[in-house]
Amino acid sequence: MDLLAHLIDPWFLGLIFGGTLMGIVFGAIPGMTATMAVAVCLPLTFSLGLVNGLALLLSLYVGGITGGLVPAILLGIPGTPSSITTTFDGFPMAKRGEGERALKIAIIASVVGGLVSLVALYFFAPVLAQFAIKFSYVEKFLIIFFALTVMAALSKDMLLGIFSGVLGIFLSLIGTYDITNGGNGHTRLIPPGMEYWLDGGFALLPVLIGIFGVTVILEEAELGMPRGQSLKDIEVGPHSRFSFSVFRGQWVNLLRSGGIGTFVGILPGVGGSAASILSYTAAKTTSRHPERYGKGEPAGVIASEAGNNGLTGGALVPLLSLGIPGDSTTALLIGAFALQGIQVGPLFISQNIDTWNAMIAAMLISNLVMLVVMFFAIRWFAMVIAVPKQILYPFILMMCVIGAYTINYGIIFDVWTLLIFGVFGWIMAKLRLEVAPFIIGFILGPAAEIYFVKSLESFGDLAIFFTKSWIAVVLWVLIVASVAGSIAISRRNARMGEPSA
Amino acid sequence: MSVTRRLLLSAVGAALVTMPVVAEAQNLPRNVRMVIGSSSTGGDTYQNASILADALSEHLGVNVRVDPVGASEAFKALARDSRGTTIMMHHDQSYLQELYGVEGSPDIFEEFTVGPTISVNPGNAYLVPADSPYQTMEDVLAAAEAGERVRVAIQPGGVSEIGFTAMRNAARMQAPGSEENIVPVNTGDQADKNQAMWDDLADVINGSIQANEQFTQLPEDDPTAMRFIWITATPETLNQAPEEGLGETDRAEMLTYAAPEVSVPMTAEENFTFDKEFFLMFNSETDPALIEAIDTAMDEIYAEGDIQQRFLDAFFTPEYRPMAEAQEHLQSKNDDYETIISELKSE
Repeated sequence: MDLLAHLIDPWFLGLIFGGTLMGIVFGAIPGMTATMAVAVCLPLTFSLGLVNGLALLLSLYVGGITGGLVPAILLGIPGTPSSITTTFDGFPMAKRGEGERALKIAIIASVVGGLVSLVALYFFAPVLAQFAIKFSYVEKFLIIFFALTVMAALSKDMLLGIFSGVLGIFLSLIGTYDITNGGNGHTRLIPPGMEYWLDGGFALLPVLIGIFGVTVILEEAELGMPRGQSLKDIEVGPHSRFSFSVFRGQWVNLLRSGGIGTFVGILPGVGGSAASILSYTAAKTTSRHPERYGKGEPAGVIASEAGNNGLTGGALVPLLSLGIPGDSTTALLIGAFALQGIQVGPLFISQNIDTWNAMIAAMLISNLVMLVVMFFAIRWFAMVIAVPKQILYPFILMMCVIGAYTINYGIIFDVWTLLIFGVFGWIMAKLRLEVAPFIIGFILGPAAEIYFVKSLESFGDLAIFFTKSWIAVVLWVLIVASVAGSIAISRRNARMGEPSA
Repeated sequence: MSVTRRLLLSAVGAALVTMPVVAEAQNLPRNVRMVIGSSSTGGDTYQNASILADALSEHLGVNVRVDPVGASEAFKALARDSRGTTIMMHHDQSYLQELYGVEGSPDIFEEFTVGPTISVNPGNAYLVPADSPYQTMEDVLAAAEAGERVRVAIQPGGVSEIGFTAMRNAARMQAPGSEENIVPVNTGDQADKNQAMWDDLADVINGSIQANEQFTQLPEDDPTAMRFIWITATPETLNQAPEEGLGETDRAEMLTYAAPEVSVPMTAEENFTFDKEFFLMFNSETDPALIEAIDTAMDEIYAEGDIQQRFLDAFFTPEYRPMAEAQEHLQSKNDDYETIISELKSE
């Protein structure tokens, strides 16, 4: 069946529409993720056939990544790990009555990011894949290290922020140095008596929704029912309305963020969350008003969402050109190919041109469906703010528990992890430790460790980090620029007498 | 509320509570959770488990759900549940990792009940870059004998390492001491092993027919091009694979990379071969009648013959061995590999 036949096939189009919608719902519920949506529907693909099955899964992927922006903006709880940075500015905007505006900005940024990556995927996949294999352990470590320098830029108090980030890295390393990652299979850093529970470490998603979701609920519970939190208390006025003028001067930010997302996506093993983190930092450090970031700056929302949707096309590059998934969700897509007996590798595109075209068409249509559906649904999404907290929070808590329990297919310790980190996040705030750098450290810590150790095992000494390749040199320049930028922002803010974002 | 009504409601409640747990017909749980030793849904373990779970669900009229929780969590889940609602599917890794001394690995023959075998993945293979000077395994062993370091990318502690151990064993038999020149490059998943080759960190990599075949079809000047030099499956297993093979590599060509065409001696009389076999495991306290029911169901499913085609379509070889036979077979495999591993360790 050629592409045109697919495009007029109501079943194909219906699956894209349904998949995008379901993905948005999964992404929008705290605790549920795009990966989970794809995992749930994976067994269906056997009966749907390859093209229709992929249309469904890719739409779930696009919808799921985008849906994460809804709770990130309206509740301050990232729906997916890659929408953490959306909370930084989206939530403050919602709190001052600009929820709907923030959502619209985020949706348009998501679509642009998705389209940028789709263009890159369609026209340059083989070339990008050849470029991706130039990134050995050393270059991957430097990318992660670069992303870690973001901790400084995102800290309110640089010392406490960096301490929080290092604490995040430390806690992420608890457990087994897994042989499936090339480790030695030994456990480390586990408190005595906890080996049974902690040999796999703390899982990322329960930590994330614990820190962002449960902590918020505990903090609100501590406050009781103060005024100023219902819809009628939020000041809605001219500043709340969306206008395309917000994108004036943001095209560089949009394209750069989409490009960064795509680039991070093509590097297997770097992790999807790094895409939005790097996009956000690039936007902040190059901005003329970095002090506005973290307080409701639309450019921050644009960078984060264009970055994480840029990932969608990028992560498919290594999958379809090398048979290597670019992130956890595309790893599930391999299962769809395998269940249909299709090999993915360097010959996939040339040998399956119809499937390839249908995949691109599915992603393109999915992005457009997402734009229409989200715009249509925005008013209802925004009503979340109006739901009384005593009703909303128990529901969120329930979804968080379900999400934590199901993310690794039914491990009860993940629920304990959720609750432990919920309380931990609440205590962190009392100690003025900082959540953003902590969670970035936690996300990037394991990959940083593996690539650092593997670099030394493979090449022998520390000098290799500076001499491996021209890519390494470029990454060092970026790292130094990022650190210098963070210091400059911090000093400027100190001079202005207010803390940075 | 009258006593009768209360009693009635209690009885209905009790019935509702117990109904989902136990199906009356065969005393089998109505919902069976099949945990697997992999956390990936894209790998061969998940594929094999899905095929078997579908067949069991249909045949027994129960829900069998595959949960890819990974080996460590799967063993924990199995150890916790003696009711038979949790069963485990994994492959030779489950005993090999114990033989290789991976921390926290159980002795499956002691701690669990090993069940019937299901299928074989005949794809375990070793590859070299397309422009490698090594044309055959003999070249690799000769290079080691000549004092050349041969770096082999593997994931330590299991299926990926067993072929590497066999290489070292063969080198030792050919020229004692030369095994020291065959050195491991410990990597993670297949992407890492491929990358190790492209970064010139490894001369030989462990891979599979399924994951690497397309790279063997690339022009030799492509920086990612590879060549097979060894497929570890037995010729009997490969002969059951579809004649057209996989991708552009047909069965006849695959056989040229496997024993006896490729010789990696295990003993003076016997070549080393390795079939990656999938099998079930049960909690050792699970009611033997439940285990027997599953074993019998598998016997009937394989006798019907449809499941075989599903395995073959996915490039696996169906291989049902009833539980008693499977236990003996896997124990014997375990003992053979234990001998080689411990001899190489003791040096």
